[in-house]
Amino acid sequence: MSWCIKVDKDLCQGHGMCHMEAPELFALTDGDGPYQLVQVLDERPPDALRAKAEAAADSCPNRVISIVEE
Amino acid sequence: MSAALPFVSGAVDGSHLGEFFTTPIQFLHRIYDECGEIGEFDMGGLRTVLMIGPEAHEAFFRAPEDQLSAAEAYQMMVPVFGEGIQYGAKPHIERQQLRMQYQGLKHDKMVNYADVVAREVNDFIAGWGDSGEIDIYEAFTDLTLKTSTHCLLGSDFRYTLTEEFADLYQDLEHGIDPSALLDPNQTKDTFDKRDRARERLEALIAERVAKRRASGEFEHDMLQLYMDAEYEDGSKLSDHEITGMVIWFMFAGHHTSSNTAAWTLLEIARHPQYRTRLQTEVDQLRADNPELSLAALKEIPLIEGFMRECLRVHPPLNAISRRVMYDFEYKGYVVEAGKNVMLCPHVAHKLPEHFKNPNMFDPDRPKPDNPFAEISFGGGRRKCVGNAFAVLQVKTIIAALLQHYDFELTQPAESYTEIMPALILRPSDPCVLRYQRRQNT
Repeated sequence: MSWCIKVDKDLCQGHGMCHMEAPELFALTDGDGPYQLVQVLDERPPDALRAKAEAAADSCPNRVISIVEE
Repeated sequence: MSAALPFVSGAVDGSHLGEFFTTPIQFLHRIYDECGEIGEFDMGGLRTVLMIGPEAHEAFFRAPEDQLSAAEAYQMMVPVFGEGIQYGAKPHIERQQLRMQYQGLKHDKMVNYADVVAREVNDFIAGWGDSGEIDIYEAFTDLTLKTSTHCLLGSDFRYTLTEEFADLYQDLEHGIDPSALLDPNQTKDTFDKRDRARERLEALIAERVAKRRASGEFEHDMLQLYMDAEYEDGSKLSDHEITGMVIWFMFAGHHTSSNTAAWTLLEIARHPQYRTRLQTEVDQLRADNPELSLAALKEIPLIEGFMRECLRVHPPLNAISRRVMYDFEYKGYVVEAGKNVMLCPHVAHKLPEHFKNPNMFDPDRPKPDNPFAEISFGGGRRKCVGNAFAVLQVKTIIAALLQHYDFELTQPAESYTEIMPALILRPSDPCVLRYQRRQNT
């Protein structure tokens, strides 16, 4: 069973909590609006990073990030 | 063919204004009970449509800004913040100002704040002694004024907070009342005072800015950020705009945070069955991290659970509004241009489909499955940009207090109720708790 990281950029305000939790998976980039936006660096990371990805999803104040089973 | 919007009963001369002003929370619940997911009422000629439930919230938050306008719905804030600031500015200017605010709330800034808040709490309890009683609503109003100004505007601003500043700030606050929703520019004593306070505050802040510019000093605070910020065309904020940014920041974060801290400690005192678990949690936190760091504060799930449950049960802001600029359609209903649409966290957070046993206070409650079910900070692109800071601040205050003291009620539990005198939900007055120093601290 594989998994991937999905983000809903419409809801992102660039708080950067995901980047603090898992810098190898998430970065922030400048957008057109007032906020920076999340950028997923690796949508299908190795299983070893699963716990970090979940922690990042859990830390997001806007609930932008989901871990999806494929 | 669109369906007619259900119109709630009880209008007096066609309007529900009186009921909205006297018992807003009960009224909003009544609309939902009578009309369901979508129901209309009349605010003195302004037709307003209340939308309740995650699906309705999502439609509201995902609608484009030119269709559902926050700026048009919140014009009452313009005389408080000042012309040309936030909703008193053109959208492309407001967007750039919001970006400046956001710069001070990003994670790289937040790491400094936990320590500042913890230091403020330690100063705050320095004179408490072994036991006593305290009105936590009043105490937290005072404390969060200090923590907010300290974190966001720097230590020089914080430690020169004069009585005059506090009085001016209060005059501004009194400028936000239900009548301001209808016309913030009507002739009224409290609005005169509001405008004079705004003027005087600008003089005080301009003085501060000039002093700092003359000295050439650089501080790591929001004031510095406002002073250095540039619009896209290279121009800088005027003193009028800097003052507006300061007031905007204070208003967004002050009572919302202090009331949430007060509710959190109140509910902790009301539920002594969790005391042992809470003590274990804060003792572990202190053993692992003598300094309260941002990273460490993530590891206090029960305190966070209490705070999040307080935001669910007692959300501070309960009328999230937008003006409909062109017809807004939802599930076959059409809300016409010129009306307001409104969300109410207090009502939405009690839906049993999304919050099992909604009237039970449960700090171990899991997050709801639907990300639009819980809306205490709003949602979408206009969600409170300070939300991570607010959570950090409340958790730090509560953790620092519980490391030293136990708290209990001084009055019967049912006497601590909700009131909403100035459009912000707060605990009833007085809100006194007894504190007792913990044995081993």
